[in-house]
Amino acid sequence: MTGRPGITAIAYALPACSRSVRELGAAGQLQTDPEVLENFGFGRVHIAVAESPYELAYRAAARLLEEQAVDAASIDLVIYSGPPGTLSLTPAAQPWNGAALSSTARFQYPGTLLQFELGLLNASVLGIDQLACSTLFGALRVARSLCVTEGIERVLCVNAEFFPAAAGREAVFNCTSDAACAVLVERVALRNCIAASVHVTKGYYWDGDALKNEIVASYFPTSKHVIERVIAAAGWNAADVDWIIPHNVSLRSWELLLSLLALPNTRLWTDNIARYGHSLAGDNFINLRDALDGGAVRPGQKLILFSYGYGAHWTALAVEA
Amino acid sequence: MSVPHEVVFFTGATGLVGGDVLRRMLAADPALRAVVLVRDAGRWEQVSTRLALPAGRVGAVVGDVTRPGLGLSADTRVPLAREITAVVHAAADVVFSHPLAVARAVNVAGVRHVLDVAAGWPRLRRFAHVSTAFVAGRRVGRILEGEERGDAGWVNAYEQSKHEAEWLVRASGRDWVIFRPSTIVCDSAAGGVTQYNAVHLGLRLLHDSLAPMLPAAATSAIDVVPRDYVAAAIAVLALRQDLAGRTLQLCAGSGALPVDELLDVTWRAWSRRPEWRRRGIPRPVLTDIATYHRFELAVEETGDSKLRQAVRALSYFAPQLALPKAFDTRAADAALGGPAPAVRTYWARMLEHLVSVGWCEAVKGVAA
Repeated sequence: MTGRPGITAIAYALPACSRSVRELGAAGQLQTDPEVLENFGFGRVHIAVAESPYELAYRAAARLLEEQAVDAASIDLVIYSGPPGTLSLTPAAQPWNGAALSSTARFQYPGTLLQFELGLLNASVLGIDQLACSTLFGALRVARSLCVTEGIERVLCVNAEFFPAAAGREAVFNCTSDAACAVLVERVALRNCIAASVHVTKGYYWDGDALKNEIVASYFPTSKHVIERVIAAAGWNAADVDWIIPHNVSLRSWELLLSLLALPNTRLWTDNIARYGHSLAGDNFINLRDALDGGAVRPGQKLILFSYGYGAHWTALAVEA
Repeated sequence: MSVPHEVVFFTGATGLVGGDVLRRMLAADPALRAVVLVRDAGRWEQVSTRLALPAGRVGAVVGDVTRPGLGLSADTRVPLAREITAVVHAAADVVFSHPLAVARAVNVAGVRHVLDVAAGWPRLRRFAHVSTAFVAGRRVGRILEGEERGDAGWVNAYEQSKHEAEWLVRASGRDWVIFRPSTIVCDSAAGGVTQYNAVHLGLRLLHDSLAPMLPAAATSAIDVVPRDYVAAAIAVLALRQDLAGRTLQLCAGSGALPVDELLDVTWRAWSRRPEWRRRGIPRPVLTDIATYHRFELAVEETGDSKLRQAVRALSYFAPQLALPKAFDTRAADAALGGPAPAVRTYWARMLEHLVSVGWCEAVKGVAA
């Protein structure tokens, strides 16, 4: 059977607790004036308190399998990304036991646990790290490649991101949420086929805190370049793009980027920026799921998913819905 | 009957081009003498020594163009009135970010004061005024040498004040010639930079990945000129009688470099240094002015000091990039027997110079 790999299912999980931007400001969890962040499009974020990153990851993956009635035994590979080792298993409000790194407890991996608890008997496990908000794009890149080169049929990509409960909730003028997202990639997909992907890493910006200004400045030209490259790699023109499915960063920065791309703001799917904030790696796929469910994205439409990973990675996917 | 010797009154002789114009005029006419108006006699000593001016042919009077009567005493004015045959007025406030009142105090009132004093000089035959090509302000398209319009407005106070100064010169009733140099960037031979300005600041910000976008079309031309070309042109033309009442644009004209090509040349030059190349700094995006203003607003809102400082510094001249101009230079070229050096013939040398000297403290100050 011929066909292209694609995204056949998405599910996500959010922590029970949420806070408004103003509440975050009052609690001292923001660096920027809440009013400015509201002007940038942010309203609420979800904050893990009782939940661990793994718990959220489990909920997202289990939901995906259940909703799509996926046979757990049919999953060939799990690609897990998120906080490392035992940190992933610790509820957000509890301090992390760093001593675990000094013992064999460091080998207690959430990906392996997920494979066991979900009964993914035939799945091997890979972990992906160091890609920040572009992590799920990295997972999909590997999944897509292995589907093509190894003939793997089904890959479950799972990501859980979080900040400790009392941590700051702002990253470079963006309000951050905790969330987990699971994405099923299949070798032959009838919907959401991946037409092209582009990944750019600029190691010079590895120390994001030291080079914050330079990163803000380089973000726009590099983002434009990456999006134009993925459009070209898919064989499309910019005018063909029906939707930009974004990472949930400031609307102001998206409006600028769209201007640079000569694309109208109306093609940006923005519903989740205000209600979820920036959930680090899960944004684009959570948004795609909601845009599909809500009927905004229709079959056959051409989508661009773009994200930037602090540290520093620019990545984009061209997807035919 | 012998031709009377020229005695030229100079302002701005310690500036970017004034001293070099003086040096060249003295070299070209052994009988020529000069009097320079300086604010600081000590500084003038240093400049005259650096320029190796011939002894006994240049006198200095201490004064200030911003003061009525140039701040000169009556004792000083009397001998000037007896001797001066020409004025080369090059003094100017060239800081783009200055408020209009500050720019006018030097660039407009300065001209008025020189003209007022010169009104008492019976031997005066020529008033040569150094203006700028950017009196064209926000106008776009072909900018003719004879045009004097200011109806489109200006990007900064420097442009406006220089435009107003030109009108004073034209209305003076004197025999005048106006020179409109483009932005002076370096010396053509070695690319050395004598005085750092907005162009160098912009380049520094590009070099340091602090200028992500420029409000320009790819085909918009960047018109700049070398300092030695401007100095040589003014020295040769300032006293030529056939140029009375003429305005000459000392610009690259057809030798200006399109923005896209300029960025290509610039990135190619910097990329020869491995330490810069490995940083992977992207070329800036060329965009429209509305998008650029949105970017400025976003940077202001986020309040990030270093980037905000950089963007503010750019704001005084970057909008000029969005106003594409092609400067007509036919009159200047005809008078000089040829055009200014094309920008592409020296741009890379200037870039090499800037990097090799580690930029200058003034440029670092904004970008660091």
